[in-house]
Amino acid sequence: MAAIAETIAAVATPPGQGGIGIVRLSGPEAKAIGEGIVGGALVPRRVKFAEFKNQTGNMLDEGLVLYFVAPRSFTGEDVVELQGHGGPVVMQLLLDETVNRGARLARPGEFTERAFLNGKIDLAQAEAVADLIGSSSRAAARGALRSLKGDFSKAVFDLDQQVLQLRVYMEAAMDFPDEEVDFLNGGQVVARLGEIHEGLNLLLRGSTQGILLNDGITVAILGAPNVGKSSLLNVLSGEERAIVTDIPGTTRDLLHVDLTLQGLPIRIVDTAGLSDSRDPVEVEGVRRAEQQAVEADLVLWVSEAGREEIRVWPGSDNTIRVANKVDLTELEAGLAQRPDGQSHVLVSAKTGAGIDALRAHILEKAGFAGDASTFTARKRHLLALEEAMAALQRGQTLIAENLQTELVAEELRIVHEALGTIAGVVSADDLLGEIFANFCIGK
Amino acid sequence: MPARNLRKPRVNVSQRQTAKHSGKRFSTMNAPEQFDVIVIGAGHAGCEAATAAARIGARTLLLTQSIETIGQMSCNPAIGGMGKSHLVREIDALDGIMARAADRAGIHFRVLNASKGPAVRATRAQADRALYRQAIRSLLEAQDGLWIFQQSVVDLLVDDGCVTGVETQMGLTLSAPAVVLTTGTFLGGKIHMGLNNFAGGRAGDAPSNQLAERLRSLPFRVDRLKTGTPPRIDGRTVDFSVMESQPGDEPLPCISFLGDVGDHPRQVACHITHTNVETHRIIRAALDRSPLYSGVIQGVGPRYCPSIEDKVVRFADRLQHQIFVEPEGLQTRELYPNGISTSLPMDVQVALVRSIEGFENAHITRPGYAIEYDFFNPKDLKYSLETKALEGLFFAGQINGTTGYEEAAAQGLLAGANAAWKVAGREPWCPRRDEAYLGVLVDDLINLGTNEPYRMFTSRAEYRLRLREDNADVRLTPLGRKLGLVGEVRWRSYCHKRKLVDELAHVLGKRVLSPGSELATTLETATGERISKEGSMLGFLKRPGITLSGLLDSLSSDLDSVLPELAGVGREVLDQVEVEAKYEGYIKRQEGEIARVRRNENIRIPAALDYAAVKGLSNELREKLLVSRPETLAKASRIPGMTPAALSVLLIYIKKLSVVAQGLEKLQLPPTAADASG
Ligand SMILES: Nc1nc2c(ncn2[C@@H]2O[C@H](COP(=O)(O)OP(=O)(O)OP(=O)(O)O)[C@@H](O)[C@H]2O)c(=O)[nH]1
Ligand SMILES: [Mg+2]
Repeated sequence: MAAIAETIAAVATPPGQGGIGIVRLSGPEAKAIGEGIVGGALVPRRVKFAEFKNQTGNMLDEGLVLYFVAPRSFTGEDVVELQGHGGPVVMQLLLDETVNRGARLARPGEFTERAFLNGKIDLAQAEAVADLIGSSSRAAARGALRSLKGDFSKAVFDLDQQVLQLRVYMEAAMDFPDEEVDFLNGGQVVARLGEIHEGLNLLLRGSTQGILLNDGITVAILGAPNVGKSSLLNVLSGEERAIVTDIPGTTRDLLHVDLTLQGLPIRIVDTAGLSDSRDPVEVEGVRRAEQQAVEADLVLWVSEAGREEIRVWPGSDNTIRVANKVDLTELEAGLAQRPDGQSHVLVSAKTGAGIDALRAHILEKAGFAGDASTFTARKRHLLALEEAMAALQRGQTLIAENLQTELVAEELRIVHEALGTIAGVVSADDLLGEIFANFCIGK
Repeated sequence: MPARNLRKPRVNVSQRQTAKHSGKRFSTMNAPEQFDVIVIGAGHAGCEAATAAARIGARTLLLTQSIETIGQMSCNPAIGGMGKSHLVREIDALDGIMARAADRAGIHFRVLNASKGPAVRATRAQADRALYRQAIRSLLEAQDGLWIFQQSVVDLLVDDGCVTGVETQMGLTLSAPAVVLTTGTFLGGKIHMGLNNFAGGRAGDAPSNQLAERLRSLPFRVDRLKTGTPPRIDGRTVDFSVMESQPGDEPLPCISFLGDVGDHPRQVACHITHTNVETHRIIRAALDRSPLYSGVIQGVGPRYCPSIEDKVVRFADRLQHQIFVEPEGLQTRELYPNGISTSLPMDVQVALVRSIEGFENAHITRPGYAIEYDFFNPKDLKYSLETKALEGLFFAGQINGTTGYEEAAAQGLLAGANAAWKVAGREPWCPRRDEAYLGVLVDDLINLGTNEPYRMFTSRAEYRLRLREDNADVRLTPLGRKLGLVGEVRWRSYCHKRKLVDELAHVLGKRVLSPGSELATTLETATGERISKEGSMLGFLKRPGITLSGLLDSLSSDLDSVLPELAGVGREVLDQVEVEAKYEGYIKRQEGEIARVRRNENIRIPAALDYAAVKGLSNELREKLLVSRPETLAKASRIPGMTPAALSVLLIYIKKLSVVAQGLEKLQLPPTAADASG
């Protein structure tokens, strides 16, 4: 394998976990970047205590720094690990700092990939790596999607559309100079660039304030009436938040509780039991419950242990089957295989048996298999926005200097591609399609 | 050609030949009995294919149905334009013939986007059809190692999955291990005029159905496209005085790097007129007799070249549409009214033409029509334009779903050259997307396919700033020389120009421009710019609006005293130095992006990769990979929806395969960082 030029960096501990956090660097610049942050020379395989500082000299954290020289490292390249004590925000700052000093954010599984490519792990391990990358990229995708919900997503898509529209005009003016089309004049281009600038600015401010980093996953509890959904919510949250009675149909509307599981923010939503009742209130409750099943990242499908399921769940990828009231049976609590081959978690909301297994299963399903992918996915959004902003500003300067259209167009291409990493890439052909849809072009 | 050993044994063809048309008869024309490359069709793709193959040294046979139609422009009489002129300059940089022919036949030249930057400037020539044909024919006849023969091909000869030659209408068998098919829209052609339609190729050409049947029996995917032409008009019946006249550019540009303004014939003007409300009313009233709107036409037409009925329907609020009235040549009065392509019935064509200002008494010399035709899905091709299904068979031009002479010629050159290299046992070659529009064209076609006639635009090129008309020679001539495509004359001319450009750039880079100096004050008065910091003359050139030729004009008298370096330097060299200075920063910035893509380009994906066995790919991506079977990781990365993580998974899987193949299953396991820290 030819030498890989880029130095990559990532948070190597699961996000939000308390205690120690590790930022890991791998690549030719790892040593230089590490030395910059700790302000001193690094000695191979020697643990050193140091203050971690940014380029302006402010202390970000303190902790241990380790340095492994290529090829005697995990990846086979120079590797530096910064182990600090800060929580997610400090880790994020530390990661930012490595990027400021020339590292690039690692893709999910990229450290392991390099290890394999450099002959550091064998075939069986490589297979496992591929699995890991597969699962963590799914988690990353979910993470990315989560930060795409709501206002943030809408804002990015709107901005993407604005950029597309402006590009349509600029590209059409270049590719179809003969056409009788009212292209934008200089003033109009300036105005539109200004609008995009404003939009980007709002997003960047919003996202640094934590919109991107703070939302976790939503877990909806669904099932037939009286199976113990509200009881599960209470035991998972550790509070008596939901009313529990032995009357089916107690819960009639959505109820949610926010909590963190090993640092991962989770919103648990209790729903009305799925029944065929005609009562308009219950009908509405069922409708809302079913909607949650679609919107939530994860569904806990609850039934009663040892009993026939009264309702059949269509079953999707993001479902955990929970058999509650295991205390009323001879069965053992915990993760188990059902006769039909499906796995389910047997629990008792009453005694708390199996609840830890359920928590672990939720974390695993959410994609937090010890990988920082979700964390990184969001961070990448921020970087993409920053890249878009930088290119946009260059474009604005070019216009101000009255420079050629094709240079402004080049900057807009970069803006668009950066936004495309969040909102989806627009191909050249799509762009042309927009041009042909907007203008009557062609001889 | 040192590649005899590569050839498949000749099929036993003699039994198939009648005594009357024996192979012997053919060899009396002093041609070899066995060719290296046979090119079928002498349109724009075929002519470039044949000359490219011959330049490389392949003994090449060009077969055409009619020698009179070699180099025929079957659609509008123009060469170049946005994106297209870029292709023509690239063909020229590789010593192809299109640009030289266009210079000899061009009767009206314009530089489009002259007021914008060099990356989006494009030259376009209106060509005299007859002169163009003549120019192409004489360029072909001047090519060593190229034989031209008038024969319709009726079948391909195939042996053991490889092409071995062709059989002609007269029963002749011609052998070659590589065949380039460039037969345009001949496949399943159907011409529409009103609700009538009939089988046919381009106006006048008979479709060769036997060859079509043969091709259809091969496992190529076939799709249908549509295109159209406007009615032609007799110039004697047109009133030019009411139209806007559009003269060509002064000074006259050349298209070829070797071109000389002296090559150009007499220049004439084009004219512009418009449709009007009455024209649109006539068209709307006749839509029920339009094959397009009555559902008779199934093929997909190009979005960028709609018929006039399409424009009137889709952009109903427009009160007029522009028509470029292009001369067909110096020796004819026939005109090509560009902008009113139509398949409406003849009576409607007459009415709509006569409703247009200047055309009130116009006589239509040839009616407009739409043609539907089949094309081969270009996803079934390799980068070399060789078909994946039949070894030795190459496709170029409109049969690959493109439109335009330039797109066809560019593919022809590539296919012809690759055919010759294949026979010589050499590696295939195709420029990358960051090297040439030719690379963009082929990459788009074979990876994405097309569902409309594919036309080049500059917006298709993500590296547009480096893929310019002015530097096509820098990008491709040295490469072409190495590959054996570029002859001595062009190579010398290129080296000479390059030397002058480099020298001038060097001198201007060293020339210090300090505030208050004589040079600085002269420049300040000449340009209105302020020079407040010390810099180089080359740096000054990067400022917007500053051009060397502009300086030359405004400094003419003082030139010798303040900038003696510029005295006597040709305009072409001045322009080149200036353009390179202006774009330098941008080009550098793109290099990182290009390097990333290139790394992936070097990683080949085995053709038979079992995607089902690759863990960690989403089903959707797996499907897409199965369908497109990308040859390299770079190609895989351009599949819509591809993610960096999925690419990693693929990369690991490929590496794993190669490790297994090498039998290096036991890799060492040194201590990892994770071990060490624990
Ligand atoms: N033995 C036992 N009883 C339980 C358990 N979990 C819940 N219950 C009882 O089951 C009954 C229903 O509990 P809820 O939590 O209200 O059930 P629900 O699914 O929310 O019911 P609805 O809101 O009516 O759909 C109550 O009487 C609970 O005390 C359990 O694990 N074991
Ligand atoms: Mg309840």
